[in-house]
Amino acid sequence: MLPISEVSRLANEKNENHCGLLQHWIESSLVSMEIIKRGFHREVETTVELSPDVHSGVRVLLLHRWPRGVYVDPYQLASLSDLSDWKIILDSTIDLEGPAHKTTGFVTFVYPTPDGPTPTLLKVTIPIHGRYHEPSFVAETFTSVEIEPPELLLWTEKCMPLNNVEPHDVMEAPCTHHNSSSCQWVKQQHQQKERGPVNVQFPVGDGSLCGPVCGGTLLVTMLCCVALSKHMWEHRII
Amino acid sequence: MERLITKLTEKHVLFTASFVIRLALVAYGDYQDKTMVVKYTDIDYHVFTDAARFITEGQSPYNRSTYRYTPLLAWLLTPNIYLNMVFGKILFIVCDVLSGLLIYKILLLKGLGTEAALRVCALWLLNPLPIGVSSRGNAESILAALVLGTLLCMEARHLMWGAILYGLSVHMKIYPVTYALPIALSLRTTETRSEDNKGMKSLMRFIRSFLNRELFLFASVAAGVFCMLTALFYYMYGWEFFHETYLYHLTRRDIRHNFSPYFYMLYLTADSGWSQWLGLAAFLPQLILLLVASWAFHSDLSFCCFLHTSIFVSFNKVCTSQYFLWYLCLLPLVIPHLSLSLKQGVGLLILWFAGQGLWLGPAYFLEFEGYNTFLWIWLAGLLFLIINSFILIQIVSHYKPTQTPQRLKVE
Repeated sequence: MLPISEVSRLANEKNENHCGLLQHWIESSLVSMEIIKRGFHREVETTVELSPDVHSGVRVLLLHRWPRGVYVDPYQLASLSDLSDWKIILDSTIDLEGPAHKTTGFVTFVYPTPDGPTPTLLKVTIPIHGRYHEPSFVAETFTSVEIEPPELLLWTEKCMPLNNVEPHDVMEAPCTHHNSSSCQWVKQQHQQKERGPVNVQFPVGDGSLCGPVCGGTLLVTMLCCVALSKHMWEHRII
Repeated sequence: MERLITKLTEKHVLFTASFVIRLALVAYGDYQDKTMVVKYTDIDYHVFTDAARFITEGQSPYNRSTYRYTPLLAWLLTPNIYLNMVFGKILFIVCDVLSGLLIYKILLLKGLGTEAALRVCALWLLNPLPIGVSSRGNAESILAALVLGTLLCMEARHLMWGAILYGLSVHMKIYPVTYALPIALSLRTTETRSEDNKGMKSLMRFIRSFLNRELFLFASVAAGVFCMLTALFYYMYGWEFFHETYLYHLTRRDIRHNFSPYFYMLYLTADSGWSQWLGLAAFLPQLILLLVASWAFHSDLSFCCFLHTSIFVSFNKVCTSQYFLWYLCLLPLVIPHLSLSLKQGVGLLILWFAGQGLWLGPAYFLEFEGYNTFLWIWLAGLLFLIINSFILIQIVSHYKPTQTPQRLKVE
């Protein structure tokens, strides 16, 4: 039987080994993001390539920080998560109808493989929708919304507590999509991302046409009103 | 061909067939939802069902975001949770077929023959638009049945029932409130024209004509039903009920693209100081037309209500294709009295669809392809208004009421 001090020394060593491995995995993982489809309804495809020697007990979390120019539909996500293997939680309630300048950004936590072993290649596709933006008064026909690639976070129960994972940060986040407890995750440093933020264009109204549009609309509606009133009055039934 | 039409429009065959078609589509819709990416069921149906689920858990249906209807609807759909999710759709298709039956009864009361009435009914019962809408899970057919029920009761002079159904329909959706004026005008005491047409005296006579037992009965019962329901649900769900069911629709300024001719104007001026004044300016044509229509046609309530709703929808600040059903369910009541030829009628129908198509094109390119087609959508919205106005003018000009032969000569 080994003395207690010896057991704890061995345990610490094992912990440090796992933490070292975790540091290695997070450094060698690649995250790439692509935005597909056009118009106001897009899909954000995130691909994560983990290091091939990643252990099965490792959990992956993708943290998206979304700008206010887009939103996700929680009801659509709920029906999608029945069909897909990833799970998602949102940090706030989403206003499904508000224009961009009257809403705020939000954060999503995506768990690519909440149950079961973690494969080395993960793909998650999240549908997003563009919000209406304020009309442009400088004759710009499109507005740009910048979408950052997600942050990759890893967790393993074998490296607890997290220490010696510099230069990577440690972050608190829900352990699973059930959001019942909080864990400490290692966050990947930025230089591991393959590409920078992606710019998505949405059409905006032309504010400089405000006068003609208002005038034209009111003129046509009044003319239709007058014409219809005249005919109704002429053909009235006593 | 003639024999086939006669066979199809035999009462039992027609109503059974129209129910079976709808039932088959509900079954197909269930299959499509389970197997394909594009769902058959409308998103609204899921909104209703989610709200009903909240009620079964003892919570407010307004916990479901975008649920902007009366709690009564969510209560009606609680069997979706307790029994089967298809219950609501069955309810909607039953109301749809019931609407066809009510159209038939109203036409009979207005003096149309059985066979002719059934043929006109078939325009609703075998029409793909209401079939599609109710089988997809939209609740419009409930309101169609309520409005048609009100008109049937008015036609048969069952005022109390008419008032109850009217109060209920206004509670469910606000737009039937516009029928209050023509109903009031039609229930007032009609007097023989007096020689004395002096301003003050004739005004007094006019006001007094509204003070009769029938109008008082109708107004108090309808208002009573409406206020009781409002009070009940306010007590249960508070301010949120009032806001989501009524205020939201009254103050709704949806700046996202829709059929309304005002859409682009409201989008561009959403945050400017002019926004309130423009909203008021947009309300004026609607108000003027509703007043003129009420006065001109109140003696023919079905026609008047059809005009009211078409005007309300066409000149509204927000217009989606769901709204079309509000007046389409009243169109079969108007058709037998139109002196338009079949060719003219079909021509107007094609024009109406063409107007929608011209809007849907640029709208698709904006929403799904990302092109900036705002200007085209705006112009298409104006054109659609012009087309709708033209169609209404044609209908008004070719309408021949059968019961009241008096018609003012064209001045």
